[in-house]
Amino acid sequence: MTTALRRYPVLVALCLAALFMVLPFLVVAVNAFKSPAEYSQHGPLSLPGGFYVEGLEDFWQRVDYSQKLLNSVLISGCVAVLAAVLSILNAYAIGIGRIRGRTWVLAFFVLANVLPQEALVYPLYYLSKQVGLYDTRLSVIIVFTVIQSAFGTYLLSSVLGQFPREIIEAARIDGANRWQVLWRIVVPVSRPTIGVLLVFFFIWTWNEFLLPLVMLISNDNQTVSVALGVLQGQRLMDATMTNAAALLGVLPALVFFLVFQRTLTRGIAVGAVK
Amino acid sequence: MTVTVERGARAVGKQPHTGPRRPRTSYALFLLPGVLTFLVVVVVPFLMNTGVSFTEWSGVGSPKWSGLANYRELMDDSEFWASFRHSLFMVVAMAVVPTVVGLVLAAALFDYIGKHFGTKIAAVLRACFYLPQVLPIAVAGIVWSWILAPDNGALNALLKAIGLGSWQQDWLGDPDIALYSVMGVMVWVQIGFPLVVFMAGLQRVDPQLYEAAELDGAGWWRRFWHITLPQIRPEISVVLTWCTIAALKVFGAVYVLTKGGPGGATDVPSYFSFTTFFEKTQVGYGAAISTVLTVIILLLSLVGLRLQTRAEDAEEGARA
Amino acid sequence: MLTARRRVVATAAAVLTGSLLLASCGGSDSGSSDGKTLRLWHYEAPNSAMGIAWNEAIKEFEAKHPGVKVKFEEKGFEQIQKTAPMVLNSSDAPDLMEYNKGNATAGLLSKQGLLTDLTPEVTEHGWDKMLSAGVKTTSRYDANGVMGSGKWYGIPNYAEYTMVFYNKDLFKKYGIAEPKTFDDLTAAMDTFVAKGVTPLANAGAEYPAQQYLYQLALSKADRSWVDSYELYQGKPDFHDAAWTYGAITFADWVKKGYIGKTSSGAKAEDAGVAFIQGKNPILFSGSWWYGRFKAENKFDWGTVLWPGSNLTLGSGGNLWVVPKGAKNKDLAYDFIDITMSKKIQNLLGNKGGVPVAADASAITDPQAGTLISNFNTLSDRDGLAFYPDWPVPGFYDVLVSETQKLITGSEKPDDFLDHVQQAYDKGVPQQ
Repeated sequence: MTTALRRYPVLVALCLAALFMVLPFLVVAVNAFKSPAEYSQHGPLSLPGGFYVEGLEDFWQRVDYSQKLLNSVLISGCVAVLAAVLSILNAYAIGIGRIRGRTWVLAFFVLANVLPQEALVYPLYYLSKQVGLYDTRLSVIIVFTVIQSAFGTYLLSSVLGQFPREIIEAARIDGANRWQVLWRIVVPVSRPTIGVLLVFFFIWTWNEFLLPLVMLISNDNQTVSVALGVLQGQRLMDATMTNAAALLGVLPALVFFLVFQRTLTRGIAVGAVK
Repeated sequence: MTVTVERGARAVGKQPHTGPRRPRTSYALFLLPGVLTFLVVVVVPFLMNTGVSFTEWSGVGSPKWSGLANYRELMDDSEFWASFRHSLFMVVAMAVVPTVVGLVLAAALFDYIGKHFGTKIAAVLRACFYLPQVLPIAVAGIVWSWILAPDNGALNALLKAIGLGSWQQDWLGDPDIALYSVMGVMVWVQIGFPLVVFMAGLQRVDPQLYEAAELDGAGWWRRFWHITLPQIRPEISVVLTWCTIAALKVFGAVYVLTKGGPGGATDVPSYFSFTTFFEKTQVGYGAAISTVLTVIILLLSLVGLRLQTRAEDAEEGARA
Repeated sequence: MLTARRRVVATAAAVLTGSLLLASCGGSDSGSSDGKTLRLWHYEAPNSAMGIAWNEAIKEFEAKHPGVKVKFEEKGFEQIQKTAPMVLNSSDAPDLMEYNKGNATAGLLSKQGLLTDLTPEVTEHGWDKMLSAGVKTTSRYDANGVMGSGKWYGIPNYAEYTMVFYNKDLFKKYGIAEPKTFDDLTAAMDTFVAKGVTPLANAGAEYPAQQYLYQLALSKADRSWVDSYELYQGKPDFHDAAWTYGAITFADWVKKGYIGKTSSGAKAEDAGVAFIQGKNPILFSGSWWYGRFKAENKFDWGTVLWPGSNLTLGSGGNLWVVPKGAKNKDLAYDFIDITMSKKIQNLLGNKGGVPVAADASAITDPQAGTLISNFNTLSDRDGLAFYPDWPVPGFYDVLVSETQKLITGSEKPDDFLDHVQQAYDKGVPQQ
């Protein structure tokens, strides 16, 4: 009986902590529906008097937000899937294949994320111009697939390093080749980790700012985060519109996360396979 | 207990091997797409960047060769080394604290809440903790600067309301505490990342291990320490290493919250490099800064990776 | 286990990804020289004076050129600032775009040969006769990319300058006369401090703080001092009378409470909002705030040029530049001409901007009239002194950082001047 009572404080503490994490979001939401005059008069932390959506509608028209959303979904979605596939292939070789010089191979892949993005700007601009991919979404997809799969390779190969060998040996004895082992055994069992990768890659790519700013010039190709930059003028900024646009921009990433949350909990536990 | 493998419509080409282990060379084929793409997208630009670091260039026109001048200047640049010291603080805020807190939270949500209150609540709480990661750092920075504003910010207002008025500070404008305020914001941003990774990792742990331990009378903490932690060791080391790399490279939050100020108190190497590249348009010097930064971080990650693979090999040896 | 159904799903996913990838191959818009489209970029907000005026100009352009469409893309300031050299060097460059004035921006691009020389067009259309001397400075750049002389590379439509915005209602409440001289200003600030109000709205984390300091220095300087500093026509000494006065007075004002100590971490937005909310009765900043104050201030307010100084911050506005690789240059020149016409300039003035060539009688709103006539006064006495961060690339960050230290008291004015001198000497382009 006492143990049951003791559980509730833990739940309450965690709920309070979760509320604290979400608080800034509420500030964004509150400011998204404020008119600029209200914001200037009462400050950013006051509650809005009404439900002001004209600013949002204006912004939507102004930057053709639906096109930006589409671009972001396209780029983030492709990157998420492609980077996950690339990570799976790399991690398979490193984690299960145990190829020689694992540390160095891993370091090679991790380099993609260690390199500061500013250093990549000029070389990528130059290279993409050479192959005629400057100002295309494909160039951004390729670049981020590589950059994100660094983390995917690292995480997945570490997890696969603990993969029970017996199952693989058994499958090999049954005559499966490496390719089949990968897709029929390793991937299904690693679904939670791969789910994590998909979610992370989508959200990280969604919020990327610098490289899309540099590589996507035509307004038709730009992403949500670049469009948000339009609101930051040289000397003035539009605070309420920034919050409104950010809220809109966050929704797809949020939806993606909530949908994929379920894969994070489903998946074949190793014990069940045994 | 064998695992049956469904054979495709086509016959499996190779003969079943029951002899000695096949050589590992053909695993390397799986690395081919990764290696090729990385070469083009990462290695070549890195080499180009290193090349530029030996020149003087403003981003337009042709670079002018200057040899090691940029590096010599960098060694003497006190601003750069100060920014490095600050990034060590960031490592604490972005790697150490989130990993530790994330571990405890993950175990609490997964084990405790999940079991006693249902997985739905655990999932909702996890989503709440992860939310800061979804918000673009630019917007998060704006919101936090409102919360931490000295005159009307929410934090100071709250402190005043609960009677702790003397604790009010100029959180982002006081050079002595600005760094700690930025660290606080970074903890808020980062906690979701280890949490999600660890909770996914906890899926892998065999529940029978826990049941056996509970039967033996082990309490929650002992189960956490002796079963949970060792089982998700790969996730822990990945998260620690990755967050450390991210901390050494942190840029967005500093850019939005304090722009490296006040008076350089929160300057970090990435921000220093960014302003050199784009505001001072000293691309050659900026390239030198990023090369040095990359090399340092790479060396640190190599150390981490080496320790990790050594531990993995030892474990495999023990298992075999 | 890979069932047949799963395989169908997997194939479908692959096909979908493939087609998405192909779709994303969306190439860039390179434009053509058939004279049928004018590709125009700018980064002014659509409800700002410039945005409204230029929208009107687009309509007029299309009316005057039947069959020609203006393809306008609104860009972000940061994107243009960071990527202009890269874009102009590619086939993506537009026909006409707005760009920042100054040696580090337009000067740099002109030096690299990325901008079209507009001198013949200027003479043909007579644009130089419309612009005052101070405004012309930022339109011409010499072979070294230094402004003031040389070929014409950009045409400004508007100008900007700094002034003292003050809250008339608050002044009346405390019984303070509106400031007409420098002594009036300091007396007013003393009274405010005595009543527990911080008089000056300030932002230490961005440009406003250094603009206060620079203005104080300007009040003890003259034209040749500005030319020496901004046009590299001499070797500036940061320990001279003007700079020393500026630094010491600024630090003094912090001590006296005119400038709040907590403004060290504030952004420009915070300073503006504080003024609108009535927290600080005075804000010294630029004409770019005018439109917003007009829309959002709920009190009676006025503006006055910084008292007791011939010089104040200001310059010609952002420039229309024609990239070297532009394909429809004649269309671009026509558009510039339309934006310089009386009709558009008057519209710009009436909407709260500072036009360079408007008809004073056509300005209907009295407050806008004051805004423009103040500028004309300033311009006629050659009082535009540009901005303190212009001479050296990256100087902005140094000034922000050092001024913050003055505000928090972690540095003495003498050391401030030393550090700023070091940074200036290190980064000033060799002439």
